[in-house]
Amino acid sequence: MATDRVLLVDDEKEFVEVLAERMRSRGLDVTCATSGREAISAVEEETFDAVLLDLAMPDLDGLETLRRLHEIQPELQVMILSGRATVKTAVEAIRRGATDIFEKPTDVETLVERIRSARATRIAHENDLAEEHIEEILGKRGW
Amino acid sequence: MGNDHRRPLQREGVLFFGDVIAGLSHELSNVFNIINEIAGLQQDIVGGAQPESAGVANRLTELAGRIKAQVERGETFNQFLHSLAHSVDDANIAFDLGDTLELAGSLAARPARLARVELVVHRPESPVTLVGDPFALLLTIFGSIEVVLDAADSERRVEVNAAPHGDWARLFITSADPLPPGVVDEVAALEIGRLSWGAAHTLDPPPPEPPRRIILDVPAVAPALKATADDKGQEDPDGN
Repeated sequence: MATDRVLLVDDEKEFVEVLAERMRSRGLDVTCATSGREAISAVEEETFDAVLLDLAMPDLDGLETLRRLHEIQPELQVMILSGRATVKTAVEAIRRGATDIFEKPTDVETLVERIRSARATRIAHENDLAEEHIEEILGKRGW
Repeated sequence: MGNDHRRPLQREGVLFFGDVIAGLSHELSNVFNIINEIAGLQQDIVGGAQPESAGVANRLTELAGRIKAQVERGETFNQFLHSLAHSVDDANIAFDLGDTLELAGSLAARPARLARVELVVHRPESPVTLVGDPFALLLTIFGSIEVVLDAADSERRVEVNAAPHGDWARLFITSADPLPPGVVDEVAALEIGRLSWGAAHTLDPPPPEPPRRIILDVPAVAPALKATADDKGQEDPDGN
């Protein structure tokens, strides 16, 4: 069975490392990034089922990172994991395409469950695209 | 009074204080989050331990649970700190009285505990929106609670309630013990409430009975905001 792939983005290195270890022990394939720029590079190079993104980060903040991630991969499932996201910021994150907002601390089991369901959503989306593509080919060739 | 240079300086000082405390509170949250995850990792590791070390494993799991409980407690205090810091952000803003009441109660919880007084704060049954300076109102409510706490004697129970009252909100700060004569006259916080919010206080029951509660009437919109508009030569929409 393929592993669920998640990108953890938070400028608190130790937080990312410990959470990554907990997720790995539950069978997830975890990549860590400690800045928005690192996250963008990672998404440019690899495919993830979900991204777990902090909002308050120096340099590129979470909202801007979210926007750029979706420029690279519009269907990417990005979940916000932040300390005390204000209502305004949370609304903005959802408006920019975040699928979930989690406030720290969130139970690791809840996060893992949500990441697994993100993988199912991504696969379903890819299947839809593949189906559309096959129909297009069949239509063109007149079979 | 508008030419007094200390007022903008004080406002800047309060904003600086709020900004710095909010930042530190955020850093504290980061620390709590890391400790919380480390305790969680410890529980994960112990959960996979061999049966022969079950006694040690159980003990470590219990300790990790206690660490998490203390983190949760610390984070609760930190949230109060964070709310306090942000209460100075805007002196003209719409906010829920229940939030300010809850924050005042949370900040007064320690003085209450030290005074061995049971402090119970009730939010209004439905949201009560006020427009004005939340920090000034917080000071007013906190100061009122403090004076009633100080007066607590044998019963040692203080209750705070609030409800809408026409275009006003009415707050009750009630002690199970009578308030000593004249004690409320010296409360600077009530003067802050009067100046910034046009808040009026009365004592209940009225003299000659010894009062047991402060009733604080606060307008839904602080008249200080209207006064600012008047200072700038703008017309009062109410024609007053």
